[in-house]
Amino acid sequence: MPEATSPDSIKPSSFIAKLVSGELGTLLALAAVIIFFAVADPIQNGDRASFVTVRNFRVMMTQTSIVAVAALGMTMIIISGGIDLSAGTALTLSATVLAWFLKNDYPAFAAVAVCLLTGVTCGLINGLLISSLRIVPFIVTLGTMTIFLGIGKLVSNETTIFPSAAQRPDWISNLCSTKPPDMLAGGMPNLPLAVWITLLLAIATTVLLKYSVFGRYIYALGSNESTARLCGLNIPLVKTAVYAVAGLFVGVAGMYQFGLLKMGNPVEGIGLELKIIAAVVIGGGSLNGGRGSILGTLAGAAIMTVIASGCDLLEVRNPYQNIIVGVIIVAAVLLDQVRERRLAA
Amino acid sequence: MLRMEGISKRFGATRALHNVELSVERGEVLALIGENGAGKSTLMKVLSGAHHPDSGSMTLDGTSFQPAGPHAARTAGVAMIYQELNLATDLSVEDNIMLGLEKSRLGFLKRREQRKLVSQALETLGHSDLKPTTIVGHLSVGEQQLVEITRAIVMDAQVVVFDEPTSSLPKRDVDRLFQVIERLRSDNRAIVYISHYLEEVRRIADRFAVLRDGETAGTGTIADVSDREIISLMVGRSVEDLFPQVPHQPGETILTIENLHGLKKPAGSSIDLRKGEILGISGLVGAGRTELLRCLFGLDKVQSGEIKVSGVSCKPTPRRQIAAGLGLVSEDRKSEGLAQSLSILDNMVLSRLEPYSRGGWINPKKIVASGRDWMKKLEVKAQGPHQPVEALSGGNQQKVAIARILHQGADVLLLDEPTRGIDVGTKSEIYRLIGEAAADGKAVLFVSSYLPELMAMCDRIAVMANGTIRACRNTSDWTEEDIMSQAITN
Amino acid sequence: MKKFFTLSLHSVLFVLLGLAFLGGCNTQPSESSNAESDSNASTGGDRRLQIAVIPKGTAHEFWKSVHAGAERAAEERGVDIIWKGPQIENDTAGQIETVRNFITKKVDGICLAPNHSEALQEVVEESQLSDIPVVIFDSGLAKGAEFLSYVATDNFHGGELAADQLAKAIGEKGKVIMMRYRAGSESTEQREEGFLAAIKKYPDIEVVSSDQYGEATTAMALEKAQTLLLKYGDEIQGTFAVCEPNCNGMLEALENSGHAGKVKFVAFDPSEKLVTGLREDKVHGIVLQDPVSMGYKSVMTMVDHLEGKEVAKVVSTGEYVATPENIDGEESQRLLHPVTKE
Repeated sequence: MPEATSPDSIKPSSFIAKLVSGELGTLLALAAVIIFFAVADPIQNGDRASFVTVRNFRVMMTQTSIVAVAALGMTMIIISGGIDLSAGTALTLSATVLAWFLKNDYPAFAAVAVCLLTGVTCGLINGLLISSLRIVPFIVTLGTMTIFLGIGKLVSNETTIFPSAAQRPDWISNLCSTKPPDMLAGGMPNLPLAVWITLLLAIATTVLLKYSVFGRYIYALGSNESTARLCGLNIPLVKTAVYAVAGLFVGVAGMYQFGLLKMGNPVEGIGLELKIIAAVVIGGGSLNGGRGSILGTLAGAAIMTVIASGCDLLEVRNPYQNIIVGVIIVAAVLLDQVRERRLAA
Repeated sequence: MLRMEGISKRFGATRALHNVELSVERGEVLALIGENGAGKSTLMKVLSGAHHPDSGSMTLDGTSFQPAGPHAARTAGVAMIYQELNLATDLSVEDNIMLGLEKSRLGFLKRREQRKLVSQALETLGHSDLKPTTIVGHLSVGEQQLVEITRAIVMDAQVVVFDEPTSSLPKRDVDRLFQVIERLRSDNRAIVYISHYLEEVRRIADRFAVLRDGETAGTGTIADVSDREIISLMVGRSVEDLFPQVPHQPGETILTIENLHGLKKPAGSSIDLRKGEILGISGLVGAGRTELLRCLFGLDKVQSGEIKVSGVSCKPTPRRQIAAGLGLVSEDRKSEGLAQSLSILDNMVLSRLEPYSRGGWINPKKIVASGRDWMKKLEVKAQGPHQPVEALSGGNQQKVAIARILHQGADVLLLDEPTRGIDVGTKSEIYRLIGEAAADGKAVLFVSSYLPELMAMCDRIAVMANGTIRACRNTSDWTEEDIMSQAITN
Repeated sequence: MKKFFTLSLHSVLFVLLGLAFLGGCNTQPSESSNAESDSNASTGGDRRLQIAVIPKGTAHEFWKSVHAGAERAAEERGVDIIWKGPQIENDTAGQIETVRNFITKKVDGICLAPNHSEALQEVVEESQLSDIPVVIFDSGLAKGAEFLSYVATDNFHGGELAADQLAKAIGEKGKVIMMRYRAGSESTEQREEGFLAAIKKYPDIEVVSSDQYGEATTAMALEKAQTLLLKYGDEIQGTFAVCEPNCNGMLEALENSGHAGKVKFVAFDPSEKLVTGLREDKVHGIVLQDPVSMGYKSVMTMVDHLEGKEVAKVVSTGEYVATPENIDGEESQRLLHPVTKE
């Protein structure tokens, strides 16, 4: 059966469409949410309005960074066509390990190194299981999710580990701090270390995805695994590497969490993976793989924080806040579907 | 009974059917014969209401027949029995037969009435032994087919179309199927029987119709013609200058396959391929040609046998084969051949990024420059190198796939149906590319179901059937009739 | 067309957003008290004081009573309160985020029931640096951060009361277990320590297990309690659990394993189920706090401070043991049926 094709029947460029529906779409959405609150806050709160203040943007950036840094890794995983449900518990496992090492008076650099290593190991385990057992990532990470939780409970002896203030180095304690002043002398905003690290890692990941052989392989794998195989990619290796690198980010996020909470409690991470995945999805990542962007993910994570902040400032009750975030996630997925269908047509 | 007159159908620039005539009477079996792509399926889709013809008319028992869709055609009395069965495997025989036709009162099934209908239909077919309560999933493929046929009887189909019904049946079931068809004929229904296999056609059919390139090439009474005559009707066509010839000279052997066994297919294939040679592989769908290429390239598991590239024996994986100088163009562009959502560039260079990377980091400028060159060389028509492959036409997609293995620097090109679903103009360009590759000293293994292109392009042609290579001769020693009979006879 | 479609999708999204907000904002009047007609108008110029009250959670009866008390104080003093807690009681990070946002909002004061004594320390410090006074209620904060006042049940004393009641119930003799809540929760730790300290007074009572944590939800506590009863159920005479979800889980486990009534059970904080248990001889004592008073006194203390009055560093809100004997008494009934918000 001959196919209905002719050499001239090339579809018009999807460039504009891509721009509107891709990461730019998420950025527009972020801008819209910010503008919405910037307008609504003075209407409701009058001269008490505080949404558009340096302080608030500082706080929002700091709050975003924990989810965002883990979502950087998740973006890579999702682009490669995978998913990691264990990110939340792996994150707190890393934080718990960090707390344990500090509590037992190990030097801070060693504790941080082990924390990051824990994240990488969790990712490595996921990657190895997925590529060697050939089980879908959803199932594997569903399993490791509780495994990591269990290990975390073992490490913490089923309670909470909190090292004393003296056992915590200052830089970790202040990792996610939003204490005043808002502006440093010299006009620089006083952003905590976590924000800078996240920005740095975001740039690094963008470069990695765009300019490295590994990055190309991630996109190829997620776009079409059969093609990747046909082109001679070492698929198990690429998969394992993706999860391991993502694990590193999870470890960094674990360090942030410890910096924020000053304690290691393995149950604090339950449900966090959904926030992380949501950030990627809102940011235009496709759960079918092959698509996703770091800028989009950052915007996705930021949208959730902005809504949380705006809802607190407008004194919106929790249930409505939950509904709003849910609506945004569904809308983002809907958008993804529309995009996919249009391209398939 | 059924008459189709002057049926024409176009898909875009492609002419699928042109002025096709077909008629079948009650109590008659008509065999519809033709190559892959000759238009048999399209014609049957027109009959079943899945496609609407651009022109032409159909009559059923003298009254005009213009089905709005498959359902309308069924209720009008035209039933199709496809290769792939459409059954709910968890339901019983009776429930399957009555699915959508349930007799009921107030939403409750009238079991007794249904049971009667089903038993009557089974009796008509001479298969009262099939229990209506059996779960369909527990039946053999042949019995399942019987369920579909029974369904057609219950619907009171007057025209029953069988689309290659024996392709997945064991011998015993084939005999039973033929008995059933006999029953249908003696029950005064009209039957259209589509098949490649001339033996079968001779056994069951009264008359035949041959389709070629979407036209009726000939009709007649089966008893009056020889196999040879039918085959020449099927392939008889002059080789146009569709096939640009690039002079090339076969050299030393580069690829040797000895007694290669895959999981199912190939089942003991041996062949050797020389530099600067185009070796065609012909055969029917399911003969194991694709599997042979996949085994060679390490995509399917090799059970036993030996593959030597340049005299070196190897255990194939795609990675190793690419390193050894093999390149594969998949028959399935969509789900395997190309990463549809990636750009033309990314698809072209994916199997060889080394020239553009240092220490794992890529220089995108170099890729763009080289990609543009390749697009120019292969005349890929696109808006730019960054356009996603999914936005391209089939022909341009195929060029990208071919560009990839050329860019990869492969010495042995494994091409699986490289011209399938492509317009004539692009086909010609791809033939030129193949010829140029051979002139460049590359070895080409060219799998195709389209005989004329093999005859025109190849130095040698091998015929595969049932997973083995039946014969391999110089093209000049083959006639199309020989090839068909090698491929068809079991 | 394509562009239009995607853009329109975005606009649909924001219309939905807007609608959701309308819903959220419409509930405003019920959220902050609009006691316009109140006679006790607040001091300090032309605008009303705004005080954020942040509980550990919102799901349990206890917090609803705190809310009611806080509302009553707000009405009396003519101030607005903003009641906002995390969705689940153990969402420490969420609580930190909420406190930060209220600092951003520059509320006049924050009343906080910290989820964790260490984790919330930094934001309390942050609040102090931003000149927003903090009253800590219900649960304590680790030493370090400065805050105005600590308004809480004397949990240590409550634990002691529980120990005495349990001892009485088992005849001052036998083996008992205690199920902890979770590490880092200051208030429950005080109860646990109070209990362990007081039970030592009875030489014939042995605590066979006191190192297991029931965690934040009834389901988790039930699981832990079942394990404990499987192990010790047949050898113990008494058990003590330290807060509402914990006690509900423990009672459920006792009923499931058939130990209810045989093993004497003293609970901390009431629930309908526990009170019924008390009447059915399945529960033998409930230490009652005064959540209404807690909410009331927290806000009162804050307003006092904002109006320039001296306030006490520690404000106790009282504790009382309900027993099968005094359950219908006036004090028990007042504490068991406090006014609740909503």
